[in-house]
Amino acid sequence: MDLVKVQLTNSEFLSTGIEKLDNLLEGGILKGFTTLILGSPGSSIEILSKQLAVKGKVLYVTTDETEQEVMDAITRFGWKPEHIEFTDIATKYSKSVLSREKKRVSIYEQRSKLKLKELIEIGSSGVMPAVKAQEDFLAIFSNSAKTTSPEKIILNSLDFFLSMYSQEEVLRTLHAAKVANIERAGVLFIIMTKGIHGEVFERKMEGMADCVLELNVIQKGSTFERFLAVKKMRNYAKKIGIARYAIDSDGFVLEMIERIM
Amino acid sequence: MSNTLIDGLKERVSQAITINTSVGVILPSSNYSDMMQALFEYMSSRNDHFWVYLAISKPYENIVKQFEYASQMTNIRFIDCVSRAAGITNKDPNCIYIESPSYLEKIIIEIMNIFKEVGDQLQKTLIIDSLTSLSIYNDNALVTEFFTHLINRTRLKDIHTFSLAIEEEMDDYINKIMYLRSNKIIKLRESFI
Amino acid sequence: MTNSESYVYNQNRIGLNENENAKSSCPCITGIDELDQKLGGGLPSGNTVLLVGSSGSGKTTLSMQFLTNGAKIGERGVFFTITEPLFKLTKNLEKFDFYDKKMIESGMVNLIDLRIISERLGLDAEKYTVEDASALLEILKDIADELDVKRLIIDSITALCYRLQTKEMIRDFIFKLGSSLASMNCTTILTSEVPPNEVKYSQYGIEEFIADGIIFLGDVDRKGDLIRTLQVIKMRGTNHSRTKSAMSISSKNGIELTPLLKSRV
Ligand SMILES: Nc1ncnc2c1ncn2[C@@H]1O[C@H](COP(=O)(O)OP(=O)(O)O)[C@@H](O)[C@H]1O
Ligand SMILES: [Mg+2]
Repeated sequence: MDLVKVQLTNSEFLSTGIEKLDNLLEGGILKGFTTLILGSPGSSIEILSKQLAVKGKVLYVTTDETEQEVMDAITRFGWKPEHIEFTDIATKYSKSVLSREKKRVSIYEQRSKLKLKELIEIGSSGVMPAVKAQEDFLAIFSNSAKTTSPEKIILNSLDFFLSMYSQEEVLRTLHAAKVANIERAGVLFIIMTKGIHGEVFERKMEGMADCVLELNVIQKGSTFERFLAVKKMRNYAKKIGIARYAIDSDGFVLEMIERIM
Repeated sequence: MSNTLIDGLKERVSQAITINTSVGVILPSSNYSDMMQALFEYMSSRNDHFWVYLAISKPYENIVKQFEYASQMTNIRFIDCVSRAAGITNKDPNCIYIESPSYLEKIIIEIMNIFKEVGDQLQKTLIIDSLTSLSIYNDNALVTEFFTHLINRTRLKDIHTFSLAIEEEMDDYINKIMYLRSNKIIKLRESFI
Repeated sequence: MTNSESYVYNQNRIGLNENENAKSSCPCITGIDELDQKLGGGLPSGNTVLLVGSSGSGKTTLSMQFLTNGAKIGERGVFFTITEPLFKLTKNLEKFDFYDKKMIESGMVNLIDLRIISERLGLDAEKYTVEDASALLEILKDIADELDVKRLIIDSITALCYRLQTKEMIRDFIFKLGSSLASMNCTTILTSEVPPNEVKYSQYGIEEFIADGIIFLGDVDRKGDLIRTLQVIKMRGTNHSRTKSAMSISSKNGIELTPLLKSRV
């Protein structure tokens, strides 16, 4: 909390990389802030997450797409990131799944290593063998910022962790990441799909974040309208606003900006 | 009190039980407690018998409250069919509790299991208290089948039966099976007193 | 596809019949008197019997009683559990008088947790591949041979099949299991869990094809009270009774049967 105040007096902002979004936010994201970006399905939130990575010294933590896939998408839009590093959890994850698959194929081999008597003994003991330690992806995420010191961390997305860990575990890790971000005076973006993790958890996340952006898709007749809303901005009530957006070959285009005061 | 009445009843019970393999007793409800007293006094006096008392009219607890000496007897076991259904959860090593009076097959199993462990030097006798109570919980046809089945199985193992029926609760059905399946019918009348 | 399937199917049937003739005619007594009477002495030795019932109908209890009664007359047995962990199984067992810890200690009754074995072999606890299933089958057979058992239980076949992903895999597995069991020198009970109040003998509709016999545990409603029932639906090689029996479960005597009173049920 105190650290945030220190940053406030410096009143330094970091650009999101999208000019109109910076305008909507009246200068960008305040350093030390943790921003939650909620997106409903179809909101193209994954494009926004990449566009945010163009400006500044960025650490991009990717869980679903590999580093290569992210870079390919960035290149397709013609963006040239100033400085980007990756923590590629997607690749780590698929490797670990693959190696487990390999282990499974060798069941006959496993079998031949064990004497039948031994096996009978194990089966009669009633004691489950300890579950083999899997890579701890949460730990990989929380350690990733320590080696490099990025200005911006983009976590895309929290959904992956929530599918593997309890909500409590995830929240604990995020709190630690938030504190580290304050100390670093960086900005942390956490991307999460809206409406699939339960309302209570969403409230908790919104409570924890300093800034909450929400992407919504609304069907109007036969067309879809997309809105980006600034749902929360700690200490800056006047920044609460909403903008219509579209996606074109340059990425996110914010159209009509409206302030809710 | 009416000791002569009880003694008279005891005498009739004694005669009927010793001679006949299956005895049916039809009595008015006003004579029920006298009959109970006579029966329990008789049972406690006979060490050469082993008794199984099938309690359907009232819970085991009530019976031993009335005849405390019954819980001290070593040659009697109770099967209580009404306590569990009434929500009474007492336990007693001298009594087997059955969840519902409609578990007729379970009743047969428990009766036969108890007698299975009794030596042949004792006369095995089953008291059913009462057939008319059983018919409150079960269709008449089912009670008939139960009684027929039970009599067949007990006869095979030389087990005597002594079945009570309350006159006011009786219908033609119960009346018919009592007469068909019993060697001897004792009919008590108020005039008897 | 259809051709090869029917081929497997026929082979199994022929295999079972041949073995039936080769095996001794002395029945495998269950030790539940009324059931043995119904079966004309006991389960035909070497048979595979599907014991069907909903959850709580008494499948595990009956299987255990079959196993312990076998141990009492010197027939070794093995119980493979899939759903219930061993501690839970033994905790329930201890309530019954027919169970004696010494039978476990002496190795006459063997309780084996298949989940632990498959875990030890690095199998996914929830999903088996075709290879996993075959390997597990072989292990089952090897364990039974090693222990030289006369009685074998798998509790339940439903839980085992649940871990297979497709109907084809299940079918394949069941038929492999059938020929495996037919080649073994023991009498087998496979328990089969079905939803309550449904007259079907297996979850996947094919388990009964490898069974020489089917015993169904159900219940009848009598004025709102449920009465447990047991019925021998089929039993190859015996002239069994098909009447429904009422079934009782008690600590003292385990499972007991008596004819079901039928009037206007
Ligand atoms: N000691 C006992 N006395 C009477 N009934 C029991 C006792 N132990 C278990 N039961 C009954 O037996 C049933 C459990 O049978 P079980 O063999 O585990 O069924 P299943 O394997 O078919 O699910 C339960 O319904 C329970 O009420
Ligand atoms: Mg079970």
